Amino acid sequence: MSPEPVQTRIFEEEILSVSDVSLSFGGVKAIQNVSFDIKRGEIRAIIGPNGAGKTSMLNVINGFYHPQEGLIRFKGKARRRMRPSIAAAQGIARTFQNVALFKGMSTLDNIMTGRLPRLEKGIFGEIVNVFLQAAYLGPARRSELEQRKYVEEIIDFLEIQHIRRTPVGRLPYGLQKRVELGRALAMEPELLLLDEPMAGMNLEEKEDMSRFIIDVNDQYGTTIALIEHDISVVMDLSDRIIVLDYGRKIADGTPGEVQSNQAVMDAYLGVPHE
Amino acid sequence: MPAKGVTGQEGLDTFPKLLLHNARTLPDHPSIREKDLGIWQSWNWSEVLEEVRALAIGLQKLGLQAGEKIAICGENRPRLYWTFVAAQSVGAVPVPVYQDSVAEEMAYVMEHAGAAFVVVEDQEQVDKLFQISETVSCIRHIIYDDPRGLRDYQEENLHSFKDVQEKGRKALRDAPQAKTGWEETINAGKGSDISVFLYTSGTTGRPKGVVLSHDNVLITARETAILEGLRPDEEVLAYLPMAWVGDHIFSYGQSYVCGFCVSCPESPETMLQDLREIGPTYFFAPPRIFENILTTVMIRMEDAAPLKRKLFKYFLGVAKEYGEAILNGENVPLKGRLLYALGNILIYGPLKNTLGFSRIRIGYTAGEAIGPEIFRFYRSLGINLKQLYGQTEAAVFITVQPDGEIHADTVGVPAPGVEVKIAESGEVLYRSPGVFVEYYKNPESTSETKTGGGWVHSGDAGFFDDRGHLKIIDRAKDVGRLNNDAMFAPKYIENKLKFYPNIKEVVAFGDGRDMCTVFINIDLTAVGSWAERNNVPYASYQELAANDLVYDMIEAHVDEVNAGLAREPGISGSQIRRFLILHKELDADDGELTRTRKVRRAFIADRYAPLVTALYDGSEMTHIETEVTFEDGRKGMIAADIQIRDMQTYEPPTSMEAAQ
Repeated sequence: MSPEPVQTRIFEEEILSVSDVSLSFGGVKAIQNVSFDIKRGEIRAIIGPNGAGKTSMLNVINGFYHPQEGLIRFKGKARRRMRPSIAAAQGIARTFQNVALFKGMSTLDNIMTGRLPRLEKGIFGEIVNVFLQAAYLGPARRSELEQRKYVEEIIDFLEIQHIRRTPVGRLPYGLQKRVELGRALAMEPELLLLDEPMAGMNLEEKEDMSRFIIDVNDQYGTTIALIEHDISVVMDLSDRIIVLDYGRKIADGTPGEVQSNQAVMDAYLGVPHE
Repeated sequence: MPAKGVTGQEGLDTFPKLLLHNARTLPDHPSIREKDLGIWQSWNWSEVLEEVRALAIGLQKLGLQAGEKIAICGENRPRLYWTFVAAQSVGAVPVPVYQDSVAEEMAYVMEHAGAAFVVVEDQEQVDKLFQISETVSCIRHIIYDDPRGLRDYQEENLHSFKDVQEKGRKALRDAPQAKTGWEETINAGKGSDISVFLYTSGTTGRPKGVVLSHDNVLITARETAILEGLRPDEEVLAYLPMAWVGDHIFSYGQSYVCGFCVSCPESPETMLQDLREIGPTYFFAPPRIFENILTTVMIRMEDAAPLKRKLFKYFLGVAKEYGEAILNGENVPLKGRLLYALGNILIYGPLKNTLGFSRIRIGYTAGEAIGPEIFRFYRSLGINLKQLYGQTEAAVFITVQPDGEIHADTVGVPAPGVEVKIAESGEVLYRSPGVFVEYYKNPESTSETKTGGGWVHSGDAGFFDDRGHLKIIDRAKDVGRLNNDAMFAPKYIENKLKFYPNIKEVVAFGDGRDMCTVFINIDLTAVGSWAERNNVPYASYQELAANDLVYDMIEAHVDEVNAGLAREPGISGSQIRRFLILHKELDADDGELTRTRKVRRAFIADRYAPLVTALYDGSEMTHIETEVTFEDGRKGMIAADIQIRDMQTYEPPTSMEAAQ
């Protein structure tokens, strides 16, 4: 129960690297010459004041924005332009700052949609599949059962059995966030991007969510990159932290290093004007 | 005269013997179910025998000796139920512990019982055990059911349930004679052997360990199974705490005696959905569960379409008029029968189906008084709900309502084999085969409770009415007097108020004081829904509780209760003179309620002493600061200004009016 992290974990293999990435919208420079890497198995946090470019960075990583300059390497392969669907198929999943679930669908169905990228089988296969699915026969039935089993394991993992059949629109915010995490997990991602997973939560919900993030990292071995404003949560959870300010990287290192960095303190606390 | 399903059980005087018997006579009949990953998994009796045997031998390999205690802690899980019989089969004594108890409570029970082994459900309990392991030195081994989160635990004395069973299976493969040896040990067991320690939740002081023998549990379970005609095809949902005697009798004792299947819910939150899926035929619930279900139904009906709402209201009226009479087999006019049949198609049937009550043959409620309105509501729908009166010390059954003789205000006639009498002081005394052996390591309390001739002091005050039914008023020691010598029965008054759906808990004061006053907790679900419909904004319990309109509503309820009390001879003197609505919900984590949700009056009076003072010094407003414990164990303070209202009282009717 000591407040200090038990020990620093060491990670070797690089899963994602970002080199000299710049992104601008017209005259607004959202990201300027940012470079960093994410190692397989670690929990990496991106922090920074409002408007620092954190969400833009996530959007660049999962291919929603295309940077004007710079290179992104995922699992050793460089890519310049990529669509989010391809990023998803390659193993990058994410959750959103404002929950983006299908409100009229049940928890179960929402998480099932996370399995869809696993089912793609070309247009002909799809047509055959539609009929099989309608008749609930053969491979369709088998595949449905397999997917459902995987989803049930996630439901068990996140302890949301009691809302399995509840339309997510009726759930409180904290639970919706958990369902969204479940949907991302259903994709069996190698890299999971979480955009403010704890925004708007009370203390107890935050503790639950932290627990789940640690468990996902521990049990599924998923690499996690997260944006979060609650600094104490970030310090407790993450192995390494990147600090952005006005689109530039101002610090990168372990929680201890970042905490004692002068530039970071200035960015958060402000600098006196002479 | 054995009944169907409970025949040929001579000599089957222990749980392990019954297990062998059931595996022989009902090998393919399901014994227990649990919902895992959304699917009901079941084990039949022969599979259960194999699982239990592997566990028992595995436990022996770990060093479990006859006579040692094995604590069991967790939600209702098949593996935890198997631990009971596995322990009993090697002569060890299972000690179930309330799974939501805080670490110190748990430490006390384990230390007191001297538990050498502990079998728990998951990481949460394992962590609690490590937390208390410094103070509780008797624990040698910890075994867990669900491995989640425990992968990195390196402790040598921590084992998974599967590994222990694997140890047992290996031993059985290596030495096949171990199997017959185990069965011989079982056959050498006697009904008078100790079968279980059940710790009472304790409204006052430390919990006491009630020692029960196999005979205590099994004779009681068998007699009542015969009385109600229970069969192997009953369906039961095991959702109440395993440490509570009720669950021990209904989900374990009677299941082994009758061979029926018990289903364990997926999680406590899914209980109502699981109830619907299982559709039990035999169902036990404390009154608060029936209250909660009724409240939910009523709230949802408020939101239904006008036509549905009208139909519901109309047929509920029909049910109220004829339903109970039909259930009791009385004479009902043809028109009533036809209307009721129509209502059954349109309303009662679908409603019961939604609630999971379609198949209930026998429903029991006990533990607290149930509101007459609530009780009649379920009965009028055709659900055979009955009250019983019981205690841990009696292995539950003291009295039970026979079919056709159901009264909302009594708890029935003595159960088979039970003798009941009323002491001079008004206390209920009983004597039965279910009467406990002793309180563990507490001869003093044992001799206070169990007196000459085997009579047990129940601690409850009551009397037999002219129909021969027992009526319980209150805890004997709680019945007091006001300064003007009027009788004051706090629980009686509290219950009258709690029967209103808007009121969740009540604490009454008055013993040795000038007048009767009460603290009230509003029911957040019911009052919250009312607030929503009446555009009363609120952000928290505290804010809603302090609202003037809520106070007006509660005042009307208190007024009705006073009018009712005025008509009751003997008790009319203790009408409620002042009341306040508490700023926080009473909570077991703060020690204000017991784990079975009974109010701890003395503790509350002490904790809220300034409020009690304010009730008696005539002030209209008072300020209080209270420490609260959050679910994760941290503490915080809440402060509030609380309003106190005066009530008018009613004159008791003169004998002329009473005669009318």
